[in-house]
Amino acid sequence: MSPVDKHDVTLTVNGRTSTVTVEPRKLLVDVLREDLGLTGTHIGCEHGVCGTCTVLRDGASIRSCTTFAVQVDGCEIRTVEGLAKGAELHPLQDEFWDKQGLQCGYCTPGMLMRACEIVETNPDVTAAEVREGIASNICRCTGYQFITEAVCAAAVRMKAGNP
Amino acid sequence: MKPPPFHYAAPTSVAEAVALLGEHADEEARVLAGGQSLVPLMNFRLAQPGHLIDLRRVEELTRIGTDGDTLVIGAMVRQSHAEHAPEVAVGAPLLAEALGYVAHPPIRNSGTVGGSIAHADPSAELPAVVLALDAELVVAGPQGDRTIPAAEFFRGPFSTAIEPGEILTEVRIPRRDGGQAFVEFARTHGNFALVGVATVIELDGDTVTRVSIALSGVAGTPVRATAAEQALVGTVPDDASIRAAAAADDLSPAGDVHGGTETRTDIARSYLRRGIELALQRAQDRR
Amino acid sequence: MTTVDRSAPPVRTHKENRTWVGKSIRRVEDPKFLRGRGGYIGDMTLPGMLHAAVLRSPHAHARITAIDTAAALAAPGVHDVITGARAAELCDPLPDFGPNPAAHTWRCLAKDKVRYVGEGVAVVVADSRYLAEDALALIDVEYEPLPAVVDPERALEDGAALVHDDLGSNCAYERTFQFGEVDRDFAEAEVIVTDRLRWHRSGGQPMETVGAVADFDHATGELTVHTNSLSFTSYLFMVATTMRIPTNKLDIRPVPAGGSFGSKLFATKPAVLAGMCSREVGRPVQYLEDRVDNISNCDHHGSDRVYDVQLAMMRDGTMRGIKIDTVEDYGAYIQFGVGHHGNALAQVVGPYTMTSVEYRVRAALTNKNQQGAYRGFGSEVNNWMLEQIVDKAARELDLDPVEMRRRNFIREFPHFIPTGNVYDSGDYDAVLDKALDLSEYKHWRAEQAKAREEGRYIGIGLITAQERSVFSATEFWFWFDEPGAPVTSMPESVTLKVDATGGITATLYSCAFWGNSPETMVAQLVAEEFDCDPHSVSIVYQGSKNGLPATGPGGSRTTVMLAGAVEGATAKIKAKALRAAAHLLEANPDDMEWVDGGYQVKGVPEQRKTLAEIAIMLHLFKHSFPEDMESGLEDSKVFDHPYTTMPSADRKDLGVFYPFMGHACHVPVVEVDIETGAVSFLAYAAVHDCGTLVNPRSLAGHIVGGTAQGIGTALYEEYVYDDDGQLLTSSYLDYLIPSAMEVPELKIGHHETPSPYTLHGIKGGGEGGRMMAPAAINVAVNDALAPLGVRVTELPMTPDRLRAAIRAAQTARESG
Repeated sequence: MSPVDKHDVTLTVNGRTSTVTVEPRKLLVDVLREDLGLTGTHIGCEHGVCGTCTVLRDGASIRSCTTFAVQVDGCEIRTVEGLAKGAELHPLQDEFWDKQGLQCGYCTPGMLMRACEIVETNPDVTAAEVREGIASNICRCTGYQFITEAVCAAAVRMKAGNP
Repeated sequence: MKPPPFHYAAPTSVAEAVALLGEHADEEARVLAGGQSLVPLMNFRLAQPGHLIDLRRVEELTRIGTDGDTLVIGAMVRQSHAEHAPEVAVGAPLLAEALGYVAHPPIRNSGTVGGSIAHADPSAELPAVVLALDAELVVAGPQGDRTIPAAEFFRGPFSTAIEPGEILTEVRIPRRDGGQAFVEFARTHGNFALVGVATVIELDGDTVTRVSIALSGVAGTPVRATAAEQALVGTVPDDASIRAAAAADDLSPAGDVHGGTETRTDIARSYLRRGIELALQRAQDRR
Repeated sequence: MTTVDRSAPPVRTHKENRTWVGKSIRRVEDPKFLRGRGGYIGDMTLPGMLHAAVLRSPHAHARITAIDTAAALAAPGVHDVITGARAAELCDPLPDFGPNPAAHTWRCLAKDKVRYVGEGVAVVVADSRYLAEDALALIDVEYEPLPAVVDPERALEDGAALVHDDLGSNCAYERTFQFGEVDRDFAEAEVIVTDRLRWHRSGGQPMETVGAVADFDHATGELTVHTNSLSFTSYLFMVATTMRIPTNKLDIRPVPAGGSFGSKLFATKPAVLAGMCSREVGRPVQYLEDRVDNISNCDHHGSDRVYDVQLAMMRDGTMRGIKIDTVEDYGAYIQFGVGHHGNALAQVVGPYTMTSVEYRVRAALTNKNQQGAYRGFGSEVNNWMLEQIVDKAARELDLDPVEMRRRNFIREFPHFIPTGNVYDSGDYDAVLDKALDLSEYKHWRAEQAKAREEGRYIGIGLITAQERSVFSATEFWFWFDEPGAPVTSMPESVTLKVDATGGITATLYSCAFWGNSPETMVAQLVAEEFDCDPHSVSIVYQGSKNGLPATGPGGSRTTVMLAGAVEGATAKIKAKALRAAAHLLEANPDDMEWVDGGYQVKGVPEQRKTLAEIAIMLHLFKHSFPEDMESGLEDSKVFDHPYTTMPSADRKDLGVFYPFMGHACHVPVVEVDIETGAVSFLAYAAVHDCGTLVNPRSLAGHIVGGTAQGIGTALYEEYVYDDDGQLLTSSYLDYLIPSAMEVPELKIGHHETPSPYTLHGIKGGGEGGRMMAPAAINVAVNDALAPLGVRVTELPMTPDRLRAAIRAAQTARESG
């Protein structure tokens, strides 16, 4: 095939706008990790099943391993690096810590971003809804129980405006 | 697991997209919708298109509307958008319910209604839904638009009536009364279903006046359970007749690692019964 | 000759009022992970780093007749392409603990024959992973397919195709052991219950695959390998030997592992591939498995066993002895020998007072990826086998399954089981009572009766089983009369440094973190010793080159071993601090005691020096102390396994090799949809006794997580090879891992029976969930289906297998 042109992709990631010039085939997860140095978003399966690479695109969770970066040109992306405000952890991070909602930490960034979407779109989320919601993401360590507890606790704090 | 190289274009109109598809026909040009089926295939290098025509900027394909009693969904409407759209809740509750079974929300946030239908995975939910609802699929091509009934649309596994150079643009779903239900059996939540059942039952009093049932996962395309439909129409169903209807069709799903033909048939009949029961219950509740 | 040393370590007195040990503090590991700054191997970039990708075999069994790499070498961004033949010139075979390594040679890339789908045949080094994969597609390999060997029992038959021609057979190992008076027990038995059981292979499948970044320096001849695999003591030798590098020219640097569950134990191949490539191209090279690599070529598939079992019983339910005949499908290579059966023999009789065991093991080689480690390392399979036949016995003898188990409980400790291993302590009645209560057992029996009347199939699966912890080395070689490497060291080390201001830093060795909590454990143990805040303790890791001997996690050993090392290092530091304090206070050290973070004269609290006061003096005021006291306050402890004894020469007694014996009772309640074969959970209770708890919530997390994996093993997960050896589950589309919707909410209970031989009485507990859940869920499903006359003897219990069993029962009933 003829040589492939690179494309400019402009992304606003965690509030900061950058333009990268990449091959169209470059996956969003690789642009985040390699071009923008945001290695908090991890690679798990590269076929859209495990959810390890989950980020938010304009507030909606997506798989960054099955998304070409060119497909999100002009979009706002949020990753795990955008959750904490300096020293202060986001309520989800804080509750994951408190409830031990993580063990190896590898699925955690994707799980946090998915949880972020769940609590932001449903402030009154129930434990059952959290379980069904996070079923999109595989955690091999925790068995999900303490993650569910953490998300519910964070939702209560966020609704009370007590981050 | 990285995808092979390809050329990329993101046109802003259907006409432009059709033109690009024609222009790059000899480079295995393909349409990119949400990418939730195509990108994994490319990561596995099972699909290696030379040129991708991304429809994300074609705004005319992202609308949901109505045309009289017909629900009109643009092919690029995201599945999560359609799932929660009031027009869909009213015009095709079966579709809204089925969308809740399509993988997981992060997939539905990218995946599109048209993408799933055009991909024509035999185990997918939306092809069975459009078949049950007698929907029409509108495609645009170099010779203009044409409309294909769902019954003529699915040709085989991952194969449809869309000709090379054409693009699926719209799904037109006639409004149906009665009870609608989508049920499916997957081994784990959100995984590919072994069988899905899309059912619409209309009643006059207690008598079934019209019934449509489509199954996914039991053949190379979604299929109508015509024998079950015939067994039910004109009757007042009871437990025994529903069981008999659910066993009426000859099914012979191909076996795979998740179930042999016998087990898949057992599960299909069981879910056929559950789908009929649920749709009937809903039809009765609506009276 | 059966002479063994039965001397035990001294029985300890445990500290009573503990401050930090036993508290569910927030883990000290977590903040970096929560912020996305975990620093995993995939996050590492070195200047000039290149990327490697491996070409996998599409054939289960084939001769490689030609490989053409010219087009791949000419592809953009490609630096090198190394075939198996060239790799064999560059590296020696990968070392293993197998019975006959010269006859089942294992290499980082297949040399002349591929033995399973996914085996590597060439590696490409390129500027990016994208370009490396582009080049893989350009390598042209000619294969001459050979018949595939897939079924382990047929593999052992005469005339089967040979996986390794040099071995002359597909039987890598066969031996029958007898422990105790087997013939007597079987002759005296009133009932002999028999069973045939099949456990299919699954695997750890951590969310992060295995990877390594290697950097060979031609100036010094030194190789640095950063990797998420583990263990200095063995891994270092294995990589160095394969690479033909002196061990003092190899530095293995640990990075956090994004999960392992055993599957990153001694994962030498990625390190060797990256190291070989780096040495050839003269630049740093990263090799990271992708998911298909990890599923098909990780060398860490889990157990894959066929069992024929006989249990000698008395009519009153007393168990006398057991005969176990097992064929294990090891796949194409056998890196850990049959060590998995050592794990089984550590607790082969479960919590029951059986007096004899016959154990026959045959290791079959087949055209599949080889076995490695997966949480339980074979003991979970033994638990499952034993609980299945115990449950069958209760049904056949028409005894209550709970009371029959209780009747056989071991109640006096320490207890030596027939194989020679010791159970150090336990209270099985207490665990059972707690589990019956927590699970609302009686309530569910009543619900079950009601459900049956409604035509619903509810089952309750109560099992009582063992949870061995802290492995020692002998289980890898006591199989052989003349073992090639009868290693006996499996140490763990810690260095503690008290800085000039009293701040404490602990240095850990080997790659201790794989999702467990080594830093939290050490921080809590140090805090307990020094009366400080555990979150104030700083933790660092050291690479092998400057490292002390260390083995790393595995066999639920980390906490006990780190505790011993912390205790030892603390003792040395406190001795020096005491001497310093006594000198500064002009007191007799014998008159002083450690109180709340400092030394003081007994009964005179004002005569006191805090640790910080002592530390600053020792760091900065050398001349305030006697001549022989060195500056600083730092010391290390290399802690060896606290309780191992050697096997007897005749192997009728294997000695003590897994002494710290936990115990658990799991009670899942399931409902089976008999139309579809789907299994769902109505309730699940689990009570574990892992000795004294350091961080109860961390242990609870391991119990839930391990149980989730056990649910996978019981119902969903299987690496399926078809009759031609094709792998049908090479992605997560087909290899099904339980999501939050498949794992129920667990009720967890802890019981604490301290070990008499470890600091604070701690036992290991990292594997318990998975060691119990498959057995418990199988018992529950069989309980549910008992009215249909269905008993399932094969895991995972997929809809296909359950429906087949139900259909067969229905057919039998209709025709009978």
